[in-house]
Amino acid sequence: MEGGRPSPYWPLFVGPYGAYLLLFLVLPFVNVALLSVYLHSPTKIAVAEFTGTNYAKLWEVYYATLFLRTLRLSLLVTIGCAVLGYPLAYVLARSTSRVMTLGLLLLVMPLLVSTVIRVFGWLVILGSEGLVNQGLRLLGVRESVRLLYTEGAVILGLVQQTLPFMVLPVMAAVERIPLSLEEAARNLGASWAQMFVRTILPLSLPGLVSGSLLVFSVSMSAFITPALMGGRRVRMVGQQIYEEVLTAYDWPGAASLTIVLSVSMLALVALALWATGRRARPKRAR
Amino acid sequence: MPGQLEVRGLTKRFSPQVTVGPLSFEVMEGEFFSLLGPSGCGKTTTLRCIAGFEEPSEGSVLLGGHRLDGRPPHRRDVGLVFQTYALFPHLTVFDNIAFGLRLRKAGKPEIERRVGQMLELVDLPNLAERYPSQLSGGQQQRVAIARSLVLEPSLLLFDEPLSNLDLKLRIQMRYELRDLQRRLGKTAVYVTHDQTEALALSDRIAVLSQGRIEQIGTPNEIYESPASAFVADFIGSSNLLRASVRGQNGGDTTLETEHGLVLTLPRVADVSGATVTLLLRPERFQVAAIGEGDQIGANRFRARVRDVTYMGEDLHLRVLALEKQPLLVSIKNSKGTRAIVPGVAIELAIDPEDIHILRR
Repeated sequence: MEGGRPSPYWPLFVGPYGAYLLLFLVLPFVNVALLSVYLHSPTKIAVAEFTGTNYAKLWEVYYATLFLRTLRLSLLVTIGCAVLGYPLAYVLARSTSRVMTLGLLLLVMPLLVSTVIRVFGWLVILGSEGLVNQGLRLLGVRESVRLLYTEGAVILGLVQQTLPFMVLPVMAAVERIPLSLEEAARNLGASWAQMFVRTILPLSLPGLVSGSLLVFSVSMSAFITPALMGGRRVRMVGQQIYEEVLTAYDWPGAASLTIVLSVSMLALVALALWATGRRARPKRAR
Repeated sequence: MPGQLEVRGLTKRFSPQVTVGPLSFEVMEGEFFSLLGPSGCGKTTTLRCIAGFEEPSEGSVLLGGHRLDGRPPHRRDVGLVFQTYALFPHLTVFDNIAFGLRLRKAGKPEIERRVGQMLELVDLPNLAERYPSQLSGGQQQRVAIARSLVLEPSLLLFDEPLSNLDLKLRIQMRYELRDLQRRLGKTAVYVTHDQTEALALSDRIAVLSQGRIEQIGTPNEIYESPASAFVADFIGSSNLLRASVRGQNGGDTTLETEHGLVLTLPRVADVSGATVTLLLRPERFQVAAIGEGDQIGANRFRARVRDVTYMGEDLHLRVLALEKQPLLVSIKNSKGTRAIVPGVAIELAIDPEDIHILRR
């Protein structure tokens, strides 16, 4: 923004939160990074002796599969949210303010309920004696279908949880596109679909990217949902970290998992932001 | 005639209270036709019905003899220039203009040639690689026009295209637009609330008020013989005076305004006893200092200047004729007008030909 010079008192404004982040995010993270290169000990949190074994271990098939599964499920959740959320976001952005407010309220309402309770709701619906199976039984299906503890269940639960993170940024992006652009494209001979592909989609892409990044990050680090809806079969990295600490009492092992997860996600986010920033910023003609 | 537009009984009902139409008018091939009126009069709705962005409740729109209503907006062969230009911010000037050609699957050499021609036509040959945000308002406007023109539509629609430009540029673009339209011989329908713009640009104007056409005519007809008090008041500035007929003798009719100003007109058919509205254009008064008024014509009376608004080329006076009839008077600024200051008494006269009786 032109002339958007910050107030000379800016440290006062960002200082408190900066201190909070430093104390409760940066320092613990540094601690975790240190732990990840320390030696595992069955009796202490770690032995302060540098080693690479915690990282070398991650190349084992078990961990590689775990990471690939986490990545694959997160991508599927992101795609699911985009497919379900984009049209919804478009319709909400183009509706009257009353409909928009109502839609937003309904959309955000699930966020007001804790994840554990929402997941419990899914258990009631998908369990072997749950609503779906009872319904199937009424239709004459004898054997109950296993719905819980499948990848599908994890994806379903995560999509439901992360959908608002997709819809909100896309909606904001679409709202910023004047309706007259749609009409101009139609007037120049574009069918609705052509108009959409050539104007709305490219112009709302930054919103779609932010939404995808949010959904993807939340899914990658999800813990409760995969733990309760995926169980042992569909384990994701978050649950593994939890068990390394509480069951195996392997703090350095958990730390190395954490660092790999965080660094790869940061790299991905940076890449996506850089790519869209380049697209969105027109080249200066001189 | 491919560019001949016919609007028949066009009606758009938004609610029982808010209805536009029924409107009927015809625009000839190559004609520049304006829809003029205050906001909410239905002019933009009419335009949007022609472009296909509103579905009329009743009536039909014919272009070159073919019905447009029912056809989707992208199959109408009608170009629309938006008030906000509506350029695609993610595309260069070149790509904006090529947008429609690409949809029509034109070949690359053809696109290059036709976009190049358009850039020449609107005088922007060096800006092809710029993005809309890097252009001035006037340049954006020209790109918007080029983007519509390159598709060679049978009809061009303009939705207040100049209202976002500053005054100087607006007047310059007005000339350019007029020249372009004449040169290409395109039929144009132009929506505006700016009466000067409509008068300057149009072959004919339809004046709209509250969803109805008040009058259709050439700029001259609209200004010189408005069909209603609304038109008279909306176009230019005017003195609208309630008056009753005092008498008719010989070839003359004598009328008296409610403030006691007596005016004589050439005889008009059966207005005896009736109250009428008179239109006196401010610039049609002749002004003289007291005692110098002998050479000025009929309908002469004294007036006192209440205030003077200095407009540069003109002076706008508010005067009180015969100490009771308020009038607006506009005179050319010249050396002799320096003596006209508030409080001064002057002599006014108006030619009987310049007094119009309005029926509505």
